Amino acid sequence: MPRFWTNPEFVRHRRAELRPVRAVTVAVVVILTCVLLWLACWSYEQSLLESARMGAAVYATEAWKQRLADLQQQCTTRTWLLFYHWLVGLQGVALTFWTLFSCAQSVSGERDRKTWDFQRTTRLTPSEILIGKLLGEPVLMYFAVLSAAPATLIAGLAGGLSFGTVLSVFVFLAVTSLFLGLGGMWLSTLLESRTRGVGLIGALALYVFTLGIYGMRQSGLPGLAAISPLAGISDLLSGDSSMNRVAPVLFGREIPWLLMSILLCCSFSAWLALMLIRNLKRDYPDIRPLSRWQAVGCAAFLNFLIYALLSPAYKVGIEGRVGWFPDSKTVALFAVAMNGLILFLMGLATLTPQERLKVWRRKSATGKSAVFADDGLPGPWLGISAIVAYALMVWGLLAWDHALPLDISTLQAAAIRLLLVLVFVTRDVLFLQWCMLTRLRQPIVKGVLFLGLYYAAAAVMTGLATVSGQEAAHWVLALLTPVQVFDSNVKGAAFPPATYVGLLLQIGVMGTIRSAITSRLRRPVQSLLSV
Amino acid sequence: MIELVHLRKEYDDVLAVDDLTLTIPQGEIFGLIGPNGAGKTTTIRMASGLLRPTLGQALIAGVDVAQEPERAQQYIGYLADFFAVYEDLKVWEYLDYFAHAYKLPESEIPARITEVIAQVNLEVKRDALIRGLSRGMKQRLGIARAIIHRPKVMLLDEPASGLDPKARLELRNLLRSLRDQGATILISSHILTELEGFCTSIGIMERGRLVRSGSIEEVTAAAASSTRLVRLSWAGDSLAVVEEKLRNDPRVSEVDLAAGGGSFHFGGPEPDLAPVLASLVAANVKVTSFGEIKQTVEEIYMKLSTHEVM
Repeated sequence: MPRFWTNPEFVRHRRAELRPVRAVTVAVVVILTCVLLWLACWSYEQSLLESARMGAAVYATEAWKQRLADLQQQCTTRTWLLFYHWLVGLQGVALTFWTLFSCAQSVSGERDRKTWDFQRTTRLTPSEILIGKLLGEPVLMYFAVLSAAPATLIAGLAGGLSFGTVLSVFVFLAVTSLFLGLGGMWLSTLLESRTRGVGLIGALALYVFTLGIYGMRQSGLPGLAAISPLAGISDLLSGDSSMNRVAPVLFGREIPWLLMSILLCCSFSAWLALMLIRNLKRDYPDIRPLSRWQAVGCAAFLNFLIYALLSPAYKVGIEGRVGWFPDSKTVALFAVAMNGLILFLMGLATLTPQERLKVWRRKSATGKSAVFADDGLPGPWLGISAIVAYALMVWGLLAWDHALPLDISTLQAAAIRLLLVLVFVTRDVLFLQWCMLTRLRQPIVKGVLFLGLYYAAAAVMTGLATVSGQEAAHWVLALLTPVQVFDSNVKGAAFPPATYVGLLLQIGVMGTIRSAITSRLRRPVQSLLSV
Repeated sequence: MIELVHLRKEYDDVLAVDDLTLTIPQGEIFGLIGPNGAGKTTTIRMASGLLRPTLGQALIAGVDVAQEPERAQQYIGYLADFFAVYEDLKVWEYLDYFAHAYKLPESEIPARITEVIAQVNLEVKRDALIRGLSRGMKQRLGIARAIIHRPKVMLLDEPASGLDPKARLELRNLLRSLRDQGATILISSHILTELEGFCTSIGIMERGRLVRSGSIEEVTAAAASSTRLVRLSWAGDSLAVVEEKLRNDPRVSEVDLAAGGGSFHFGGPEPDLAPVLASLVAANVKVTSFGEIKQTVEEIYMKLSTHEVM
């Protein structure tokens, strides 16, 4: 494995950002901050001690005397622990924020400065560029954290924490910041230089999202909260004393937050790294996040996560199970809904650029390319993903049968629901593919907006149909949207006729869009000789 | 050394390069000429691996650039019309970065950096930060970057645009010395005088197609009209005699003479011009100069091109 400190891209960043004067300045600022922070903590603890002394002098009760004695005895430890908490909190915020934002400008910044092409024409492999940028872009912050590391270590140990805990926090910070750095770099790869500002907004959104996902602790998938830096740090720092402590669940077993964080961050980082390595040296219009098989794999991974992180019911109350997933039907319904999102994202990730699609059409016309070719339409691959998702659903529900008893009608209903979702998602993805063949600027963004408009119009039409009666509204909903998927009263395959009519209608719409795509692809290119 | 096989590039509905096939042997300096938008940059970007062709192959030293980009890059030195550099590095650090990025042997790098810095006359700025360099110096540094790994093939896209006359001359000399060392050079330009007396072969691109290519002589021959333009001058008052002698030759046309000199078109091979000169001398015309005017690259281009762009 190549050593990262000799990676040319890392060395470039280190040389540019850590010139001796700057490095010394940063180290001095960090040390001064640590000193000031320690004094602030000491002052706070002394004020608590002073209050206790006054209380003991004024009231002279045993309780106050005991409190004073405890505070005097623990004063030093408490001061160091408080100092440690502040240090880790500040480092966590600074490191994750800085890593994300500096990496979010890495590739788009190079495009902006017009140095990217020169880097692409070197012999650096995409993985070397990836490692160099990931470790090089935030090198100043890494150095600042390293400068504070001795103080952090001493504070943690003097604060009564074990060496393992202190080390775990460092590992956790490193894993989380690398994960966010990869996310930022992927965002940066997707943006052309002129949209650098959008990249920063995107990075901010990603940061807020990772913090916000902490709220998933109380959900049916508590483990997902481990993606947030808050989950691991608060768990590590609060120890066992915190109230309402919820542990993440992996295959039904509780595991430490830190382990879950590392597992999730590493696995999501692996997918991000795969996408980056695949695309870093490509020209901007040729970027496609994943190959078709990789997209199927990614969809399978996300489905697998649902069942692996499932926490069937976090509380058993007087009225039975309470929580997101009281029974297997709810789990199946949730999985179908999630697959709607997963399939749509997968469709977005595998849209084929116009140029490649034309080549595929020409080849397929001469029998040299198949329906499942990597440059073909994404539809067939969505079908494969849906089949894999259904297989995983069957496996997942059977695996959870001991906690959430499964009956065959649940699987039947889930199959129909997944089919409905697949048809609607495929229709939408084909529509986006068609948009890419038009002369629209930013076709995917506009296509998604058109889809939003369509669903808003469908909602309005349903509202209007309600005037004629509930039955009419049901028909409109079933014909235009996949909302009936969420009708939990359906047993087995006994969906109302409107559902099946809607399904046939959408298959017809898909055929129409497919024809429109084919006719677009048949148009001859504007030969320069015939202009 | 450079082999482009049925290259084609489509941008959405537009065909930028259409079925371009071209072979440039080692040691050639091939000038790709054509108007803006003719497809020169797209061709060079495909040859350098920056752009994936819609169809076809670009082979550099026998390596398919699209299939084995990292291997192909060791042979390629790419220079574009802009000279973007990392402003926050020192001159030697910048070259050190690219030397490592091109995976030169570690032991060779310091000497190579010194050598290249000397080649582009930046010795005094070796330890200076790039942001403090003048534009001309940055351009020279860009050239140093492109040759740091001793590429066998140089792909230059309008490399002299924005360069001052002195820097252009230096660039030409540098490229000549690279050619003498065995490098093959593909250079694109729409400023035809840049390529004059410098390229060993040229190709004319228009609307994505290679209209004509070959050695300067071949292309000149293809572009030549059926007549040669001959210019002459003489001393004394022999205008009437010269005019009479020329008009009597059936292969002479478009005679344009004034006192002391002029030009005419000659419809025969070059050796047949000798009797024409001999007849003038025999008629006591004091000829001071007599010779065919060779066509410049610009004139060849003007004859062969229809001046159409995308």
